[in-house]
Amino acid sequence: MRRFKWVPALLILMLVLSGCNGFTKGGSGAEKADAEAEEGKITLDFWTFWGSEIRRPIIEKIIEDFNNSQDEIEVKHTFIPWGDIWTKELAAIAAGDPPDVVINDINATALRGKNQQAENLSKYLEEDDISGDFYEELWNATLYEGDSYGIPFNTDTRVLFYNKDAFEEAGLDPEQPPKTWDELWEYAEKLDVKDGEKYDRLGFYPMFGVQTDVWMMNADNVNFVDENSEVKINTPAKLDTLEWLNKWHQKYGADNINSWKAQMESQQANPFFSGDLAMLVQTPTFYTQIRDYAPDLNFGVALLPEKEPGNGHTSWGGGFVAEIPAGAENPDASWEFIKYLTSKEAQEYWAVKNFDNVANIEASESAASSDEFNDNGKMVYELAVEAMPLTMLTPTSLVAPDYMTLVNPEFDNVYLGKKTPEQALKDAQAAVEKEISKK
Amino acid sequence: MAGKRRFNYKTKEGLQGYLFILPWIIGFIVFTAGPLLFSFAASFTNYNVTSQMDFVGLSNYEKLFSGDQLFWTSLYNTLYYVLFSVPLTTVGAILLSALLNRDIPGMRLFRTIYYLPAVLSGVGVYLLWMQLLEPGTGMVNTVLAWFGIAGPNWLFDPDWTKPALIFMKLWSVGGGMLLYLASMQGISKSLYEAAEIDGANAWQQFTRITIPMITPVIFFDIVTSLIGGFQIFQEAYVMSNGEGGPVNSMLFYNLYMWQKAFEAFDMGYAMAMSWILFVIVFALTIVNLKLAPKWVHYEGGGK
Amino acid sequence: MVKQAAGRQKVSHFETIQGRRQALNIINWVLLAAGSILMLSPLWWMLVTSVKTMQEVMTYPPTFWPESWNWSNYMKTWEAAPFDLYTVNTLTITILVVIGNVFVNSFIAYGFAKVPFKGRNVLFAIVLSTMMIPGFVTLIPQYVLFAKLQWLNTYYPLVIPAFFGSAFNIFLLRQFYMTIPDELIEAAKMEGASHFWIWWKIGLPLTKPALATVAIFSFNGAWNDFLGPLLYVNDESLYTLQLGLQVFKGQMSTQWNYLMAGSLLVLLPVIILFFFFQKYFIQGINLQSGGK
Repeated sequence: MRRFKWVPALLILMLVLSGCNGFTKGGSGAEKADAEAEEGKITLDFWTFWGSEIRRPIIEKIIEDFNNSQDEIEVKHTFIPWGDIWTKELAAIAAGDPPDVVINDINATALRGKNQQAENLSKYLEEDDISGDFYEELWNATLYEGDSYGIPFNTDTRVLFYNKDAFEEAGLDPEQPPKTWDELWEYAEKLDVKDGEKYDRLGFYPMFGVQTDVWMMNADNVNFVDENSEVKINTPAKLDTLEWLNKWHQKYGADNINSWKAQMESQQANPFFSGDLAMLVQTPTFYTQIRDYAPDLNFGVALLPEKEPGNGHTSWGGGFVAEIPAGAENPDASWEFIKYLTSKEAQEYWAVKNFDNVANIEASESAASSDEFNDNGKMVYELAVEAMPLTMLTPTSLVAPDYMTLVNPEFDNVYLGKKTPEQALKDAQAAVEKEISKK
Repeated sequence: MAGKRRFNYKTKEGLQGYLFILPWIIGFIVFTAGPLLFSFAASFTNYNVTSQMDFVGLSNYEKLFSGDQLFWTSLYNTLYYVLFSVPLTTVGAILLSALLNRDIPGMRLFRTIYYLPAVLSGVGVYLLWMQLLEPGTGMVNTVLAWFGIAGPNWLFDPDWTKPALIFMKLWSVGGGMLLYLASMQGISKSLYEAAEIDGANAWQQFTRITIPMITPVIFFDIVTSLIGGFQIFQEAYVMSNGEGGPVNSMLFYNLYMWQKAFEAFDMGYAMAMSWILFVIVFALTIVNLKLAPKWVHYEGGGK
Repeated sequence: MVKQAAGRQKVSHFETIQGRRQALNIINWVLLAAGSILMLSPLWWMLVTSVKTMQEVMTYPPTFWPESWNWSNYMKTWEAAPFDLYTVNTLTITILVVIGNVFVNSFIAYGFAKVPFKGRNVLFAIVLSTMMIPGFVTLIPQYVLFAKLQWLNTYYPLVIPAFFGSAFNIFLLRQFYMTIPDELIEAAKMEGASHFWIWWKIGLPLTKPALATVAIFSFNGAWNDFLGPLLYVNDESLYTLQLGLQVFKGQMSTQWNYLMAGSLLVLLPVIILFFFFQKYFIQGINLQSGGK
């Protein structure tokens, strides 16, 4: 028995520990309920993935302003890690105990509407029609059968960043960024600095930062699966695009490309900062990284080049909506808060403080002339606002939500030299059509 | 009379047995059985978590076998991973624990060092490995270059993505090492002393004494890493951004299932997939259990 | 004459054995040392990253030796979120999970290994089966279940199941119990001991190395658990270290230096614990010699 003398001590330790916070059901929640009863306020749970030292104070300031603006609703913010937040939201909806407002991916909003994961907002919109406040492409992405299931909050687009010093060095006019695909190629040739098989400076590679699909959209302004569930993968414009992209891939070779691609995809060392890469497609927010990590870089921005003159500088973006999860307790109060979140005032604050693009057109435009930005900041933001109406989303297909898993490997096969572009597009088209027909 | 007493004792002993496993039975009924049964039932429906759950018969299973090329891709990737990672990690862990089971200076520190990677887990480690495996300036290829080896493109080359994950797994072999080390502590020193006097060299001692004595744990390791290997998910999810990597070479079974469940919200389909995986793994485990008596040596004469 | 020869032979044997041992030990040490460098190099990269400025992290090409060692990153990391609170929370969960896992699984495993009863093999197969179903298809129903039990936003879903056995640990401990000679158990039974008494007085002490392994594994598992706390805890004041680390990882950018500093800090207690806990392996008891 001597050997286990510590057992009673363990039991006591367990008792002590189980007296801790996590074991008194709703410890802080209970207090809150009391506070609620006193003031007669409705408490809203608001989930976001904005926990960084930059974003968190900004969203919490917006919440604080809302809480102070009226005395019926008290919003409580909870940070839940990026990506996993939606797994948790889904589980909470299934259990009938969801939060009141959640920030969610705009592209899957219609799908969530179809599955009744989010509340239908039409009855609120009938009273306050705010649909016109937002960029049309964003608004349309929230609709399922004409009803909205989330209000657009922030968004992004893709623009071309270029190194002005490198332009000058290569004898190019730093105020004349490339406008078409041909120019892009031509400029890149001039900007390349080759050292044997390696590059001391790489002019441009289209698939750093964005993927094949973005250039295909840039070429013909059509998604892979259109709104009528027609598969539009094997088209002449997309074939041109794939051939063009493959030309780039063969020009630089996998070894030169992959190293930098890896760096950029893992959000670390970026050769654009050091001048080793002359042009790069990125989100406007990328500017904040230049500002913080390469403050001396002399750069410019331009719209995404077009396939040929007059084709259109179509770009690609994404974004987030504020939604009310299905079964939320106080949808009316949630709506009031969402209306505030997406109002010009809150949106402009978010836009300016975060240097982020927002969905509210008025807020977006007035942020562009904000005094808080310096000259470079203004330059980038103004261009971003100019790019917004040209920006397309890739909403999740309702008939084949995960078709990209079928399409991506076909593109990979082209770059690896295992398939011709013709064959790859034909196979991708067939695979997605088959997937849709299964439904 | 004697027979009756014996019978009574057996019944009593049997009751004690149930008492011993009672916590598990309760836990199983309360926490596990419900969700398992639910997922089994839902695999015959078009369950999407929130709004629909209609009986669709065997159609999820039919679709999987007849028309889903990604199902086969993911199954192939997973089998590839299991086939290499299970033997390699088992052998690696055994050899390592043999080295770490000697009485030499600094052993505690060595054990800690080798165990360290097994402690590191989660998303951070996979992000770390993405940096280490970065083809141009990453640490792995930089070190290989010192020895004149041109490292591959790892996570960007479909032929190297799975080997990269297997190497990563080998790095954290310390968990298995711990098991073997614990089991080697149970081997009597006198066995080795006797063997030494008989002139057996270190290798002979290892193969004739150590290995047979730790077979119960080898068996455990093989069964559990087989089960675990089939469930590989987070590495691939993080390192391919949830997409499956070049030419879907990292689209493992569970990653594909995850896409179906939480991106397409086709939960019924995902549940059907999970039960197919269950059948495969269960069959392999039964084979393992049946083969065990041929090579697993229980000192206790266990049946 | 014969005796003498044997005696001499024994001496020479002894000498060569000593010599051989020494040589082996040296080879062994060299191998381990070389391997250690391999094992530690990824951690070196973590350490280097953790003391860089973000500007240096973003510089191409990456450096393997930092320009300056900014140890203040560690302070900043710790202050970026209420990490001392998260440490207390994580410890609370971890300690309870370890206690549950060590005792309950040992108890159950003894039953499966040493007490004959009807249906033992079938039930054991079911134990193993529970490991084979991928977690995320039962994630939703399990969450619903815990919601019905009113356990959301508490640590109950993270802690209570540990007191009802886990397949992995049951299986592991069963394997160790199987190596205990049946005669030992039989002898105790002859003296009228119940199985419960045998488990407590013979089973537990004899499987100490295995229990230490289970303890270390469960500590590790609970300490590093991410999905559990993520799903079941709503109040940020109940968050754990692994959840806290996520503030450095955004959608578009990651604060690598802080993330790596935080990961190393979180790692530290586990390493220290392991370093000192090892003696339970070394003190392992010789089962073959009867384990007095």
